Amino acid sequence: MLGVALVSPLALWLLATIAYPIFSLIRLSFLDVGVIGTGGEFVGFENYQRVLNSRAFWPSMGRSVVWVLGNGLLQTVLAFSAALVLNMPFRGRALARTWVILPWIVPTVVAIIVWKWMLGTSGGIVNTILLRLGVIQEQLGFFSTGNSAMASLVGINSWRFFPLLTIIILAGMQGISKDLYDAAGVDGASAWQRFTNITIPGLKPVLFVMGLVGTLWSVNIFDVIYLITGGGPSRGTLTMPVLIYDMAFLQYRLGRAAAAAVLMAAAVTLFTIAFIYFLAPREADDDDEGWQ
Amino acid sequence: MTEHKRSAAIRYTLVTLTMCLIIAPFYWIYSSSVKESTEIVSLAPTLFPQTFTLTHYANLLSSSDYPIYLTNSVVVSAATMAITVVLATSAAYGLYRLPFPGSKTLYRMILLAYIFPGSLLLIPLYVMLSSLNLLDTQLALIIINVTFAAPFSVWLLKAFFASIPFELEEAASLDGASWLQTLLRVVLPLASPGVASVAIFAFITSWTEYMFASILIISDANRTLPVGLAGIIGQYVIDWGLLLAGAGATTLPIILLFVLIGRYFVQGLLEGGVKA
Amino acid sequence: MNSKHSRICLTFLGLALFMLALVPAQAQDAVEIVIWHMEQPPQRVERVQGLIDEFNAANPGIVVSQDVQSWGEIYTKAPASVVAGNAPDILFAIPDFTPIIRELGAVQPVDDFVAEIDETHGYFDVGIEPYTSDGHVWAIPLWNMAHAIWYNIDDLEEAGIEELNNWADWANAVEALTGDGRYGIGLPANRNLYTDQVVYNFMINAGASDLYNDDGSLRFNNEQTVQALDFYGQLSQFSPPDSPSWAWGEAEVCLGSGACAMVNQFAFLRSYEANGGDPANLGVMRMPVAEGVEDPGTISYVNAAMILTDDMAKQEAAYEFLRFIFQPDNYGLFLNMEPGLFLPITESGFESETYWSDPLVVQYRDQLETVLDYSRSGRLFGFTGGQTFPSIARISAQNLLSQVGQLVVVDGLDGAAAAEEGEYLMMEAIE
Repeated sequence: MLGVALVSPLALWLLATIAYPIFSLIRLSFLDVGVIGTGGEFVGFENYQRVLNSRAFWPSMGRSVVWVLGNGLLQTVLAFSAALVLNMPFRGRALARTWVILPWIVPTVVAIIVWKWMLGTSGGIVNTILLRLGVIQEQLGFFSTGNSAMASLVGINSWRFFPLLTIIILAGMQGISKDLYDAAGVDGASAWQRFTNITIPGLKPVLFVMGLVGTLWSVNIFDVIYLITGGGPSRGTLTMPVLIYDMAFLQYRLGRAAAAAVLMAAAVTLFTIAFIYFLAPREADDDDEGWQ
Repeated sequence: MTEHKRSAAIRYTLVTLTMCLIIAPFYWIYSSSVKESTEIVSLAPTLFPQTFTLTHYANLLSSSDYPIYLTNSVVVSAATMAITVVLATSAAYGLYRLPFPGSKTLYRMILLAYIFPGSLLLIPLYVMLSSLNLLDTQLALIIINVTFAAPFSVWLLKAFFASIPFELEEAASLDGASWLQTLLRVVLPLASPGVASVAIFAFITSWTEYMFASILIISDANRTLPVGLAGIIGQYVIDWGLLLAGAGATTLPIILLFVLIGRYFVQGLLEGGVKA
Repeated sequence: MNSKHSRICLTFLGLALFMLALVPAQAQDAVEIVIWHMEQPPQRVERVQGLIDEFNAANPGIVVSQDVQSWGEIYTKAPASVVAGNAPDILFAIPDFTPIIRELGAVQPVDDFVAEIDETHGYFDVGIEPYTSDGHVWAIPLWNMAHAIWYNIDDLEEAGIEELNNWADWANAVEALTGDGRYGIGLPANRNLYTDQVVYNFMINAGASDLYNDDGSLRFNNEQTVQALDFYGQLSQFSPPDSPSWAWGEAEVCLGSGACAMVNQFAFLRSYEANGGDPANLGVMRMPVAEGVEDPGTISYVNAAMILTDDMAKQEAAYEFLRFIFQPDNYGLFLNMEPGLFLPITESGFESETYWSDPLVVQYRDQLETVLDYSRSGRLFGFTGGQTFPSIARISAQNLLSQVGQLVVVDGLDGAAAAEEGEYLMMEAIE
């Protein structure tokens, strides 16, 4: 049982830092606690009822879905495009492949500063360029409505995370045998056919894990949203993590925030189960089951 | 223009566009951070600096504890990296080279640690760390960062460990090598690009972490770079010069680090050819 | 990375770091006082540290130190630190922050000390009221901050605008000033304290200062609020499109760079020139008043210090430090950690020589005197009408006033609908 012994340090570490806090969170969701640190009475499911009946809950769930889908879509498109480009032969390819990762290695705060500044209307560079090119006649308010703020935030967040995905996809492309492409070339398959019939299936296991982990990462994004819009304007970017933070630390309803957190975790768990059940690659010829 | 030349032109255009999307914001930070304040906020932004000054960087150094933040970030990230590498390598070795009943389930459970978002765990973790007297210590940040870096690291290592033939290990054990000797002398050297990638992944995860660092650290002496940078944003006044210098100086160390080791991170992943 | 030795090295490195982090702080004999404040910009920290150093040198038995926090996190961090037992001895506050910490039972009443400072230095009337509740004073007022309308003089002159006597004048002026890449006014519509402040300033000058009736029930949804909100929406059409993401700093940049003709703002003397403004071009005036409103005013924030320690020796040491701060010469230096923004709250501070001798204060003396004058009739939402209701903390922590402002500016609701929705949100927040 050497294997067990080797896994156990990490397993115990995660138990202490995740399982135990989850347990206290669930406990908290049944207590009537207000400000962090005050005591609370057991109130059964009252917190859950109030959360489910509040006006903010379902719209926030909806926005989280939009957030995850938007990020997933944009990052996939960006990462695939970048990976295909960087997979072509050109001089300086190794260099480009290294530095494509740049946005991912800078702290969120830096990304926030630079994008907020570039997207501003008092001399923001993006508006200035678009105006000069004649693409727009009037300055765009990138954060001025709920929808535009959501779109801008999805863009900023995707800019930060697509590089990692690009590298992972590139790595996956390396793993696809050249013979397959050569054979397809002989058969006269078009570039698009090669992409859909060889590249995509070959990447399926990687895409599966990145789809799963990427979704879990992005649904939990808090700092970019909170530091730029605070969930606004008009709650247009109030996703679940922001709502929960709001409830806990600005509305001083810790118990209710815990209940909302548990509900969100439940929704994410359901999604995960469905994702694994429907999309897990099953490869008969391999003893490991794909998504490992 | 020949077919060949045309396709080359298209190729380089695409590469340039891609790299512009990546690099342009950084160019904008650095080129603007050396402009005079009035040029920075001018309504007609200048693509190339018309003025040159290092005042903003001087301000940054004289008025904030940038060197302290930098040291703290390096210490926390290096420790996170070290612990993550040890824990993840050992776990990955156990899971992929010495499978046991339930190892696949356990592996999945580890990856699913990401179901529970940091923002939800903030409250209970705060209470837990405070009862352990770890608030305002770098150890607290290290503990948290390892938690969020390790699961993905285990997955990254899989491709490397899975690609090593079992025969090599068997040969080693026939020679009388213990499991530890086998791990250190046979398996790890072969998986070294993967270990390097994991190390860098953990380092970056820790380097960019903001939320926990902002709540768990109280005194200025223990602050990390992202939180220190957020501190100079200021509540009432935006000093764009200082802010851009701060953004630039926060990014610089990691860029330098990547100049040295960046290719190992990317090459490590590429050579391993993540097979999943 | 792949050799055994470097791996072992890394492991030891990790262990060594563990040890380092665990080294306990050295114990000392003197009374230690820890201050948390939220004045993060470097020159403010430096100024406070200078005063602390001077105090520590003169008082060998006391060691004061500061830890700088951010307003963005203090609402999370302070309650948590009280619970964890590592709260500071002195914590700076604004009026709506105090009830939160009081709920945890951690704030000490300071009636006697405030009376002492009042006697020696003479508090302005606006100072103590926001911190008085349940028969006690809960924090020691430190300084005041007040809003006014700041404008670029040349813009108004070119447009031939002289005096703005009422809202109709103001609306015409703002419209006339808009054009040629310039916005007539910069009005925030973010969800933050700045927008709360500006929305409330409109409410004050529409005659809707009071959020509460005397019995503690809400009176937000009324005719005057509706008028204020409608007008806010009207003027916002002449504000830059990114104003829904603004905080104070963006408004400053907009005014200084000339992109905005006017903004509603605190007195930031330091940034106008840095943002490209010509100091001689900076004008200030009182916000115009809606027709028929009898008691115009401006929003003002009295900042204060709460005493959290229950140790008598520490409390006395904390008072000693604050006595030192209120000495007129020290107080002038203290306020000028951000010249203009922090206004004196005592008569003796108003006379302080160090206060009036700061170069920026000298340069903008006229403007500052105007703002100081307004500040003495300042008021703050939830702290008017002679009574304080702790539930205001929940309304302001969630920035409900700015959320109502956004309903008008971003969602295009009319004032009546926004006021109704706003009252609902407030009820939900305080139930």
